[in-house]
Amino acid sequence: MLGNKQSQNSFVLKLALALFCGVGLIAGYAGSAVSAAADDFEIIASVQNQTLVNGVTSRVPVAGVSVTVTKIDGSVVGSGVTDEKGLCTVAVPSRDDYAILIDQSTLPDGLVLIDAEKASVTISKDLFTTNTKRVTFFTGEGSAAGATETERILQRLADGIRLGIIIAMCSVGLSLVFGTTGLTNFAHGEMVTFGGLMAFFFNVTLEIPILISGPVVIVLGGLFGLLFNWGIFARLTKRGIGLISQLVVTVGLSIMFRNIYLFQFGGRTKQLSSYSKQTNLELGPIGITPRDLTTAILGVIILVSVALFLQRSRLGKAIRAVSDNVQLASATGIDTRKVIKLVWFAGGALAATGGIFRGLDEQVSFSMGSDLLFLMFAGITLGGLGSAFGALIGGFFIGIFVEMSSLFVPSELKVAPALFILIVVLIVRPQGILGKSQRVG
Amino acid sequence: MDWNQIFQNTVRAAVGVDAIYFAIAALGLNIQFGYTGLVNFGQAAFMACGSYGLGMTAQYFGIGLWWGIPLGIIFVIILALIVGIPTLRLRADYLAIVTIATAEIVRLFVRSVKFNKIFGGTEGISNFSRDYRELNPFEPGTTYGFAPFTFSGYTLITVFVGWTLVAIFAFLVWQLMRSPWGRVIKGIREDEDAVRSLGKNVYAYKMQSLIIGGIIGMFAGMVLSLDRGSVQPDNYSRDVTFYVLTALVLGGLAKVSGSIVGSMLFWVLFVLSDNILREVTRNGPLRIGDFTIIQSTQVGAVNYMFVGIGLMLLMTYRPQGLFGNRKEMALDGR
Repeated sequence: MLGNKQSQNSFVLKLALALFCGVGLIAGYAGSAVSAAADDFEIIASVQNQTLVNGVTSRVPVAGVSVTVTKIDGSVVGSGVTDEKGLCTVAVPSRDDYAILIDQSTLPDGLVLIDAEKASVTISKDLFTTNTKRVTFFTGEGSAAGATETERILQRLADGIRLGIIIAMCSVGLSLVFGTTGLTNFAHGEMVTFGGLMAFFFNVTLEIPILISGPVVIVLGGLFGLLFNWGIFARLTKRGIGLISQLVVTVGLSIMFRNIYLFQFGGRTKQLSSYSKQTNLELGPIGITPRDLTTAILGVIILVSVALFLQRSRLGKAIRAVSDNVQLASATGIDTRKVIKLVWFAGGALAATGGIFRGLDEQVSFSMGSDLLFLMFAGITLGGLGSAFGALIGGFFIGIFVEMSSLFVPSELKVAPALFILIVVLIVRPQGILGKSQRVG
Repeated sequence: MDWNQIFQNTVRAAVGVDAIYFAIAALGLNIQFGYTGLVNFGQAAFMACGSYGLGMTAQYFGIGLWWGIPLGIIFVIILALIVGIPTLRLRADYLAIVTIATAEIVRLFVRSVKFNKIFGGTEGISNFSRDYRELNPFEPGTTYGFAPFTFSGYTLITVFVGWTLVAIFAFLVWQLMRSPWGRVIKGIREDEDAVRSLGKNVYAYKMQSLIIGGIIGMFAGMVLSLDRGSVQPDNYSRDVTFYVLTALVLGGLAKVSGSIVGSMLFWVLFVLSDNILREVTRNGPLRIGDFTIIQSTQVGAVNYMFVGIGLMLLMTYRPQGLFGNRKEMALDGR
């Protein structure tokens, strides 16, 4: 196994030193990647078609709508046309008051603005809380058309399976690290982001196709996980620092890395270049791009092999043994420190894989992983904290649940039901589906 | 901006509104985290309860501003019950997970388009603080005080009100922790089972601690939104809790003075770093040769990176902070 042999160093570097090595490593990788961080302001106009069927609101982006941004005095700052995500980004020179106007004649046939007075929206400079200000225009259908109930449910289910695969993949490491060391790692989301950003670096900056760069990124992700262990948490455990203190350290680590990413990558979301423009395959009622279909199948293969590895192989059995009971496992001759390293490596690699998939699925941003962290926690709590199989099942279920629930709640609030699951699980069965009850009290 | 100005900004930050609302939030978090050992990662949501309590009086209910206080307390209690009931019987990290999740969901709710009429969406709520402004004895446009402690009349009232609140809550926390209730609370942190064996209802005590800390945190949100004259959902993002936590650890956990001095120091260091970095990047990016070290848009990220590093180093090398007592840092025990 990779990483087992390394880091048996006899000399002990101070934590801070290791930390800065880590920073240097990341900065080195990403250094030239994205020199142009968010250096100016931008307005993102989003055009969404809103449909209401049986009291359920759903939104679909509208492409091909002309958007013009003017200053308050009427001088044009920029213009553009919405893409397939319904977004149109217009760079603006400064934090100022602007008016955003959409050309209603460019709306697709049959669509009208819900609020006709809002064809022009004025924003004041105070609304730029970040460098980006998003303005959304809602359209509705003039004539009754669109997907049927069943089609929408199936579409959501397909989206949910894709999200579920990603969450399951990301949370295995989180759950195993908890199982083997007792640490709740709030910086796990940053390991996911690492995968996404590295994929961006190789794919967009160095223009290496994702099929070749992907495996490299996955290995780097594993090494990144090892670095967390070797640079910080193994040392903290050695110093006898308690788990709650370590938990607070993971919070600091998360803040640090998120801001390093922000520093290098900027605040905008960006798209990977491989397979970014594809048309939907129509599989019966479901529209899915070949890319998404491929990642879904690859994802299932990865998850099944992880499960088989844990179930069948000696190392997998050792991991589960340590995760079950550290003392007992070490009494039977398992090298627990080796197992912990393996878990960090595997967890980091899987998180990076999840990050690549997420980047292909949606877009890449500096907070893409930490935005998923809460769903991962909901998943592993549902499945049972510390159990790898629990993380797989729980994460998969949460992904589907979140996407399906957007049939009933506004999509901006679709993660809220996951909190509901989290709370219900903790009340009814705090150890989760596959967890052990002695852990929770 | 010159170095004198940077010095003045830095010193002023020690007593400014940011330090005040951090100090109040830290006093609340200290009850939960420092004294009781509850890992509340959702203090930002409790702060939002206060802000939205005030804001909603005008936005939704159309009642006087000061009804915001009872309204905020109701929100805090509801929130504390939501996060507390499922988790307070379980290991400490479950509370951390649920509070961080709940805080994020609260933020999504208040900024959603769906509930725009109630919470004001992403733009938040303004025009609610007239009652408070009318109390202001100072001229909003005039500058008061002596260098470096100069404030506009608009801000000065909040500085006075804020520090009064800090003093009140500091006294309250100090007295609470000397009381029998406080001794039970600290006992729970040291050894929950021992306290339970004495016949105390640990669960109820933890819940009380969560609610009291939350109510104090709520006032922090109120101070912030009264000063800004607006309620902004993005002022209560997940990371705000962690910055308050960093200030708290910096000053020292389980110390009343720690919360206050920690917050002052946090903002002094933050403003110092921010001002220096802005000064060096003011005339274009800072370069060595062709290599760009930092440009002005990256200043914010670097500041917060320092916060993260600081939190890690503090927890590792000096968990008791500047003033804390290492014996009181019982967090190591678990």
